[in-house]
Amino acid sequence: MNFEMPNFLLALPEIFVLGMACLLLLIDLFLKDQDRHLTYLFSLFTLVLVAVLTVYGYSGERQISFNGAYVADGMSQVLKLGVYFAVFVVFVYAKDYLRDRGIFKGEFYLLGLFGMLGMMIMISAHSLLTLYLGLELLSLSMYAMVAMQRDSARASEAAMKYFVLGAIASGMLLYGMSMIYGATGTLDLSGIASQAATADKTLMAFGLVFLLVGVAFKLGAVPFHMWLPDVYEGAPTAVTLYIGSAPKIAAFALLARLLGDGLINLHDQWQGILIILAVLSMAVGNIVAIAQTNLKRMLAYSTISHAGFLLLGILTGTRSGFSSSMFYALSYVLMALGGFGMIMLISRKGFEGDKLDDFKGLNKRSPWYAFMMLILMFSMAGVPPFLGFWAKLSVLEEVVASGMIWLAVVGVVFSIIGVFYYLRIIKLMYFDEPASEEELECSADMRLMISANALMVLGIGLFPGALMAACAAAFSTT
Amino acid sequence: MPELSDYLILGAILFSLSIAGIFLNRKNVIIILMSIELMLLAVNMNFIAFSHFLNNIEGQVFVFFILTVAAAEAAIGLAILVVLFRNRRSINVEELDTLKG
Amino acid sequence: MGIEKFIFYIFSVLLIASASMVITVRNPVKAALFLVLAFFASAVLWLLIKAEFLAIVLVLVYVGAVMVLFLFVVMMLDINIERMRAGFIRYLPLGILVALTMAGMLIWVVSGDGSAFNHSVLHGPSYSNTQALGLVLYTNYVYPFEIAAVILLVAIIAAITLTLRRRPNTKHQKPAEQIAVKRHDRVRMVKMKAEERK
Repeated sequence: MNFEMPNFLLALPEIFVLGMACLLLLIDLFLKDQDRHLTYLFSLFTLVLVAVLTVYGYSGERQISFNGAYVADGMSQVLKLGVYFAVFVVFVYAKDYLRDRGIFKGEFYLLGLFGMLGMMIMISAHSLLTLYLGLELLSLSMYAMVAMQRDSARASEAAMKYFVLGAIASGMLLYGMSMIYGATGTLDLSGIASQAATADKTLMAFGLVFLLVGVAFKLGAVPFHMWLPDVYEGAPTAVTLYIGSAPKIAAFALLARLLGDGLINLHDQWQGILIILAVLSMAVGNIVAIAQTNLKRMLAYSTISHAGFLLLGILTGTRSGFSSSMFYALSYVLMALGGFGMIMLISRKGFEGDKLDDFKGLNKRSPWYAFMMLILMFSMAGVPPFLGFWAKLSVLEEVVASGMIWLAVVGVVFSIIGVFYYLRIIKLMYFDEPASEEELECSADMRLMISANALMVLGIGLFPGALMAACAAAFSTT
Repeated sequence: MPELSDYLILGAILFSLSIAGIFLNRKNVIIILMSIELMLLAVNMNFIAFSHFLNNIEGQVFVFFILTVAAAEAAIGLAILVVLFRNRRSINVEELDTLKG
Repeated sequence: MGIEKFIFYIFSVLLIASASMVITVRNPVKAALFLVLAFFASAVLWLLIKAEFLAIVLVLVYVGAVMVLFLFVVMMLDINIERMRAGFIRYLPLGILVALTMAGMLIWVVSGDGSAFNHSVLHGPSYSNTQALGLVLYTNYVYPFEIAAVILLVAIIAAITLTLRRRPNTKHQKPAEQIAVKRHDRVRMVKMKAEERK
C-alpha cells in the first residue's frame, strides 16, 4: 500500500471554513436571541479571513492534491473569491429582512457557510466524486434554507418542489457519472480526458446526455427550469438572494470542470446539446418574464435567460469561450445581488415588496435608490456602458469567433426582447405615482452595501478590463 | 457467472421504473421520495457492476459515498415533508398550487 | 446455466417485481416495505459480484435506518390514501410509455458492450473486500470522506432546524430545584383562632 501524503495546506481555505462553521455552531448554541448579531459578525469575519487565506495561500501554479480529488488553479482562485464576495453581500442584506420576519437565527448563517463550503469544493473539484459531494453539500444546505421559514406554507411548498427536482437531477447526474466511469474506468477528470478517446462511444455519449440533463436541472436551463420560478418566489427573499447568486458561480465551475477539464474531447457531442439548451433558455426566459407581475418571479425568468447566455460561452469549447462565460457568471452574480437586494431594501416587516407595483414611483420616495435600481436594470438588460453589456458582448464575440453567427444573432434578438421588461420597471419607478409616500427604512450597512453594489456594476462597467483580464488569466495557466 | 450487461440492464430497468414512479405518483410526495431512492439504487447497481468487471475499487468507493449522501438526503427530504404537512395538512402535490406561473 | 446465474435471475426478478410494487401499491406503508424487499434483493445481487461490504451496508444503513425513518414519517403523518390515488389511472399510460422508452433505450446502450469488459479478475481466498475499501477510504479518499462527514452534519442541522419546536407552555421537571426545596417553600403555617363550634 503506497500512499502519498496529501498536501493539506492546499485545501486550507476549505479546512478553515469548516473549522469556523463548526465553531460558529457551538457559539451560536449559547447565544441569546438579542445577541444574535454576534453570529452575523462572526460569519462576516470568517469570510474576510478566508479571502485573505485564499489570496495568500496560492502559489500561482496549478496544483493537484488528495490523490487527484482537489485542484488549485487560477480559475479556482478567482471563482472562490467571487463566491466569498457574493455570500458576504448576501449575509449583509439578509440581516434586517430575517430579523423583521423572526427568522434571524444562527442556522441561516451556518447553512449559508456550509453551502459555501460545498461551492468551494465544487470549484476545486478534480474528480467526479468531489464534484458530486460538493454539489450535494450545496444543494442540501439550500433545500433546508428554503424551508427555514417554517410557518410559511409557500416556503415549505417551494422547498418540497426544490428538493424533489433537485434529487431527481442528482440521480440523473449520477447515472451519467456511472456510465462515464464505466467507459473510462476512472473518476479522475484528467484521467477521463485522457481515456475519452479510446472509451466506448455509445456509453460515453449516453453518460454525457444524463450528465447534461442533471446539470441543466441544477442550472435551471429550459426545458428543465420548471422549479426555478416557484422556488424563487416561494422562498424568503433572503434565501432567494442566496440561491440566486453565489451558486451560479458554482454552476459555472461544475460545467467548466466537467466539460472543460473532463470531457473536452467530446466537444462535438455536447456542443449540440448546449446550443439547444441555450437557445431555449434565452427564448423562454426573456419572453415569459414579460408576463410576470411579481419581481422575484420576473428575476427568476431573467435568471433562466442569463443561464442561456452563460451556456453560449461554454459551448464554444475554447479557452477564451470559457473565460468569457466566467466573466458572465461573475457579472451576473453582481447584478443579481443588487436586484434581489433592492427587493429587500423596500421590504418591511409584514410587507414583502416583491410586486412590480411596489416599485411604482420609487423615484419620488427615494431618488438615490431609484437611480441604483436604474443602474442594475440597465445592466441586466445589457445597455452600454454598464457591466451587463460587456458580459453579453464578450460571450457573443466568442460565439462569432467560433463561426456560429446565427447563434449570436439569436442571442442579440432575445436580449433586445429582454430589454422591454427591465425598462418597464424603470418606467414604473420614474413615471408612475407611488402607492405610499413612506420613507424606506433599513439599517446603515444595508444602505451602504447596496449603493456600493450598484456603483460597482457601474464602475466595472466603465472599466471592465481588470475583471476580464483576471478571467482570461484564469484559463491561461492550464 | 452473470455478465456486466446483465447488471447494467437491471440497472436500466430500475432507473426506468423509478422515472415511471415519479410520473405515476405525481400526487404523492412520499412515493416520489421512494422512487428517488430506487433511482439511486439503480445508479449504485451500475457503479458496483462496473467496479467489479473493471477490477477497480473506485466504483465501490463512489457507492459508499452515494449511500451516505442518500441517507442525509432522505433525512432532509422527510424533514421538509413534515414541515409541509404541518402547514398544509396534506402532501398532495397537486394541491401545491400557491405558486403558479 | 451455472448456479450463480440462476441466483442472479431469481433475485433480479424479485428486485424488479418489488420495485414495480413500490411505485404502484395503494398504501405508502406497503410501498416502504416493498422498497425494503428491493434493497434486500439488491444486496444479494451485490454479494454475487463480491461487493460484500456494500451489500451489508445497504442492509444495515438503508433498511435499518433510512427505511425505518420513512416508515416512521409515513405513520406519523396521517395521509389520506384515497385522495392520493386519484389521477393514477390517468397517468398510467404515460408512465408505462416513459418506462418502456427509457428502458428500451438504456438496454440498447448498455447491452452492446458487454464483451469488451469481461476481464474480471478473481481474487484469492485471503482477499477481503472490506479491507480493500478501508485501505483506500482513509488514505486516498480522505478528502471526500471528510466532505461526507460535513454532509451528514448539515443533514443533522437541517433536520433539527426544520422540525424541532420549542413549545412555550410545555411542562418539564427541574430536578435541581426540586431537590433544593426547603420545608418553608412548600408548607405555610397559618395561625388562626380556634373557631367556636356552633
